[in-house]
Amino acid sequence: METLKTISGYFATIGVAFTVGFLFMGFRRILTARVQNRVGPPIYQNLLDIIKLWSKESAINHGLMQHMGPAFSITASVTTLMFIPVLRDGNWFQNFSFEGDLIFLLYIMVFGQLGMALGAGQTGNPNSAIGVSRGLSQIVGYEIPFVLALTALMVYHETTSLHEIMAAQDSIGGWNIFVNPLAFVAGIIAFLGMTHYTPFDVPFAPAELASGPPSEFGGKYLGMMMTSGSIFAFAKLTLFVNLFLGGASNLLELLVKALALYLIPVIIGIVTPRFRTEQAILFFWKWPTIIGILSILWVVWMR
Amino acid sequence: MDITGIPFFLAVSFGGAFLAYLMNFAHRFLRNAVVLLTVSASAALLFWLGDETFSMEMGGFVLTLGKTPYSLFFAGIVALLAVPTVLFSFTYMAKEERPAMYYLNLLITIAAMYGILFSLDLLSLFIFWEIMTWSSFLLTIHKGGNATKAGVKYFLYSAAGAYAILFSVVILYNMSGSLLIEDVARSFVLQNPLMQLMLAGTLLFGFSVKAGLMPMHGWAPDAYAESPAPFTALFSGALSKMGIFGMGMVLYQIFLQSPFSLPVRELLAWAGGITSALATLRAIQQTDAKRLLAYSSVAQLGYIVMGLALGTPLSMMAALFITLLHGVFKAMLFFAVGAVYFRTGLTDLNELRGLIRRMPVSFLTVLMAIISLANIPPLGGFVGKWLLYESLIQSDHYFLVIVAFFSSTASFLYVYRLIFSIFLGQEEKEFEHVKEVPFLTMQLPMLALAAVTFITGIFPGIVLAPISSALTYLGFPIQHDMWSMSMLFNEWGNRMNLLAMISVIGTVFLTGFTILYFYRMRRTRYVTTKDIHTSGEVPTENENLTYAINFYQPFERAAHPVLSKSIRAWIDWIGRSVSELGDFLRHIYTGDGQTYAWYVVLFLTFMLAAGSWIL
Amino acid sequence: MPELFPLSPVHYVAAPLLAAFLLPLVAKLSRSFIKILPGLTFLYVLYVSAVLYPQALQAPIIEQIAGWAPPLGINLYYGPMAGLFASLFSALGFIVWLYSLTQMKQEPLDRFYILLMMLVAGATGMVLTGDIFNLFVFMEITAISAYSLTAFLREDDKAEAGFKYILIGSLASAFVLLGIAILYSYTGTLNLADLALNMDKVPLSVRVIVFGLFLVGFGIEAEIFPLNGWAPDAYSAAPAPVSALFAGITVKAALYALARVTILLFPFAGSMALISILGLVTLVISELAALHQKNLFRMLAYSSMGQVGLAIAALGLFTAEGVYAALFAMINHAIVKGMLFLTVFAMAGGSATLDGLNGMGRKKPILSLLFTLGAFAIIGLPPFSGFWSKLSVLTAMGQTGNYAMIAIVLATTIVEAAYFLRATGRLYLSEGNPAEGKTPLSAIAALAVLAAGILWIGFFPGSIDETLTAGAQDLLDTAKYTEGVLKD
Repeated sequence: METLKTISGYFATIGVAFTVGFLFMGFRRILTARVQNRVGPPIYQNLLDIIKLWSKESAINHGLMQHMGPAFSITASVTTLMFIPVLRDGNWFQNFSFEGDLIFLLYIMVFGQLGMALGAGQTGNPNSAIGVSRGLSQIVGYEIPFVLALTALMVYHETTSLHEIMAAQDSIGGWNIFVNPLAFVAGIIAFLGMTHYTPFDVPFAPAELASGPPSEFGGKYLGMMMTSGSIFAFAKLTLFVNLFLGGASNLLELLVKALALYLIPVIIGIVTPRFRTEQAILFFWKWPTIIGILSILWVVWMR
Repeated sequence: MDITGIPFFLAVSFGGAFLAYLMNFAHRFLRNAVVLLTVSASAALLFWLGDETFSMEMGGFVLTLGKTPYSLFFAGIVALLAVPTVLFSFTYMAKEERPAMYYLNLLITIAAMYGILFSLDLLSLFIFWEIMTWSSFLLTIHKGGNATKAGVKYFLYSAAGAYAILFSVVILYNMSGSLLIEDVARSFVLQNPLMQLMLAGTLLFGFSVKAGLMPMHGWAPDAYAESPAPFTALFSGALSKMGIFGMGMVLYQIFLQSPFSLPVRELLAWAGGITSALATLRAIQQTDAKRLLAYSSVAQLGYIVMGLALGTPLSMMAALFITLLHGVFKAMLFFAVGAVYFRTGLTDLNELRGLIRRMPVSFLTVLMAIISLANIPPLGGFVGKWLLYESLIQSDHYFLVIVAFFSSTASFLYVYRLIFSIFLGQEEKEFEHVKEVPFLTMQLPMLALAAVTFITGIFPGIVLAPISSALTYLGFPIQHDMWSMSMLFNEWGNRMNLLAMISVIGTVFLTGFTILYFYRMRRTRYVTTKDIHTSGEVPTENENLTYAINFYQPFERAAHPVLSKSIRAWIDWIGRSVSELGDFLRHIYTGDGQTYAWYVVLFLTFMLAAGSWIL
Repeated sequence: MPELFPLSPVHYVAAPLLAAFLLPLVAKLSRSFIKILPGLTFLYVLYVSAVLYPQALQAPIIEQIAGWAPPLGINLYYGPMAGLFASLFSALGFIVWLYSLTQMKQEPLDRFYILLMMLVAGATGMVLTGDIFNLFVFMEITAISAYSLTAFLREDDKAEAGFKYILIGSLASAFVLLGIAILYSYTGTLNLADLALNMDKVPLSVRVIVFGLFLVGFGIEAEIFPLNGWAPDAYSAAPAPVSALFAGITVKAALYALARVTILLFPFAGSMALISILGLVTLVISELAALHQKNLFRMLAYSSMGQVGLAIAALGLFTAEGVYAALFAMINHAIVKGMLFLTVFAMAGGSATLDGLNGMGRKKPILSLLFTLGAFAIIGLPPFSGFWSKLSVLTAMGQTGNYAMIAIVLATTIVEAAYFLRATGRLYLSEGNPAEGKTPLSAIAALAVLAAGILWIGFFPGSIDETLTAGAQDLLDTAKYTEGVLKD
């Protein structure tokens, strides 16, 4: 019985993550449309797209690696989700979060991108290759401030476990966004890069690269990638909520906090043009990195 | 002779080399059998190696051999890589010239590595060290052509290192009157601190050359690129680790008590960090597969030095774990690149492409290896990096974490370039007839090592057990709450459960893959890589659709300020200046008899003048 | 046999000289004697060594010539050190003869062998004699045969090299003779042992002057910088077997003379330090000069000068370990450099350049292997003889606390490695066709003996330990020397 409950918990987590993910993305599409003076699609449009894609038949393939790409992608998304505590406490939605720590999350999060890159590589489409080259380069940019922010938190709380970081932020005043605002700034700028929204969408640049790495993927491949994308978006938001906003005790609180965080890249994305790859990299290596270093110095000084 | 003794062990290792050389004149199968038997026998003998030490006198010095848990761990790495290396050589070297020399030098190199590890005194260590250097030099120049230059460069760097070591050894011998490492350590602490600093400094410098620590890494790209691929695997995987072995010995058996120990280790850790970052950037720039891997090796050795220099139990575990794992996955990569070279004759990333369907096993090998190299779970590479980052954070080296993480992330770039340029992308007509390499001699070594990366990723305890006893020997008591068979703990008590990790990853991946494979792929038909989305324009047969040249141009632009400077160029400049000085001095010898006569007269005058002045 | 025909150190000098005089006569009988007689002579001298050297290790053999007791008569002093050198010279002479049997084709062969035997006889005489004027005479014999051998090939540039050698060599003779004359005028004796006891009759300033004259005189033959200008030319002009003898014999004899004279007559700290420093300077400059050298024989010549510099630097320490190391370095150099000269000549002929080595690994695999072995041994890589000699030099320097010297020696070793390995690397370039032409057996045999020596000393350095220790003691123990010579 206990086992059954645990296993159903996994599926529930995935379901919640997927739903929240596609709703947030639909919300973004509406918001963007409104700003551009359009009506925009309904909020559940992404779900419709995914259902449509899953029901399509593909006639051709470019080899085994093309299949493995989306599988790698969903592996990374779900594994990331499984190792993040969704809620502060209680038995629900904890999944495997006691079994791994932040360093593990750091690496499993990039696993999907590398897998995607491999899948895209086999298709032979030059647009995909260009997109991969840009995407991987950009990772090297934003991971630096991200790790700086994480290090600041890990050092401050003397733990690499998300649970303990969450547990330490027991009041609003104890949230890391207030305790170490510099780390938050560095982390959130890195988060902008992770979302691949403008100004950091050069790897996918729709008008230029025909959407880049996923160019050759259609039907269920694309469906699986979009599913994975929704789950991953939720996982990342939850991670940031846990890190900086003290986590959430129930799903509603989580939704509010996540949406608040999500608005930051969305709004910045709407009002900014696109960076070139090297500009993006140099941007990440400059201000966010300096802020991240300051945040660590701040932590060292505070201890 | 006692067959569990070290003399017998070394006799087998060295004797096999000469026997194989002689057997070459009989038949090549006989030779191959002897070669394989020698390395397997020495690998097997490692398990039965007795504890007793063995001394002999040579040239007035007492040489002592014996095993320690620390050396046994490194010997394990050598054995683990030596067997696949010779196996891979059989087919790979069949086309090459002078096989007898190749196997002779290869086996001498392997035997010399064992010799280094089982030396309990500094002189026998140095002797085996030099034997290893010259035999590997001969292997490096085996191909001729550019390899000669690369080999000489390798030797000169090595010589600089080796003579730094010898310098210290002579002085230490003079101070302590004994060559035994433990005696040397005892009298070392009695010296004044500056002397200690100089001696340990030269020793560490010497060993770090072999490890390719910047700025003394200049030999590595050329030597790795030019040496025969199977040997390169051993070169990067095991031989360069002898430097790590030596550094660990100096830092923790000789130098530990010195007041300068901590600053020196801090400096080394930073040198390691900077090495890993800069070498990674260089690797991204390379267009030759072997050079790329060479720089990658330099970078990985940088991590190891970092872990070694920090000197916390966790960091030492990390250093030794990465030492093993790097050996394994780098050997896989060099094998795979060698396999591609064997079939296509190319290592140029701008020319190779689309081999995935022609050489699937090599592709799988590279895939496993790069996942390991990029430290991505669930393979073994991740365990090493996990230990390293935890130890960096917990020993308050926050900025080193960033440096290390930067190079680790940037390594995605070059590993992707490697696998993409060789195996992915457009399939080309010219590679249509390329076949996968033979199973027994070439695929098997690659797959066996791939299995090692997988197993160590889930059950690192298999490796951490010998590491623990090695570290206990070095004076780092490893408690049992730091690791278990598939569980890792950091110093703050956080844990990493690798079995949970592999279950989640495995389940999700298999589900996702099964869905796509059984419901999609089997019903679709394979089309060529020309049949792609190109906005309605149909590409012609000969149209080049590959994006591989200048693959990371944007990144290189961003990193230009760093990439435009070259440490190697500075060292080369020093070399050239010495050479030019030599050329200038040569003009002393004008070839004119009168000048020479003047030299004699002036010298005599000078002597007499000096003599009268002194009087 | 000794009862029938008592062996004596005199035979070392007498036998080759006698053979040299007889050679033109036996050549009239049969041309083949020309080739056989020198070999028999060297074999005989080796036999003398085999009998006498073990005795010398027990107690020095002091032989009086013509029955006059020293200090009036000339005596030969055959101690462990002289015995070592005499045996080494004979062995090298024999090996070079073996090699020349097939490799030396330039006529007139009878003159070649005459000069060869005179060279060996003269050099052996230098190390054996106990009389300083006699020393000068033997030095002249050596030098004159060396001049002639340098110009033996009768080409313009060889003649020029020979002339330069004569020019500088005669300066050497003049200075040594002047020094001897000055000493004689103060002490009235020419016997080394007697001189040693009477040196206090010589004013200090004169002693310094005489030391300077000897240093320059012997230094020229011992190739000390900057007196070694003749050497690169002579080495590259002379036929390779002769170059091997220059490196192995003439230099060593001069060095022995310098060491013996310095330690007996001028044992001040300053003179010893000076010798050490000169050795180091020679080492550094020669090795650097070799770095850019394209002509192989010149390269080997520079390397020879460097190696001798190393030996001198160790010798200048004048400690038991220092002299031991110097002797070791000299023996090693004689064997290895001899082998290198002979190998290069067999491989690429008399005017070998670096390019001439390209692809030899295919054309002449055995010779290539031997060259590689020689290069490794001269650099000092274990487990070859050079390693132990270099190590003994370094430990000797370490014992006197001269860490800077160790650093200099090691740094020059890197330079040495650079040019030797560059040459070695060329052997294994993939050019040329497999196994072009055969190297004659006698040449291979000669080289094999030297290679075996390298490996033997490399694996069993202890086997020559006793010899070297005894030699070092012999040189340093001046009291024993003077007492031994003057006991009657």
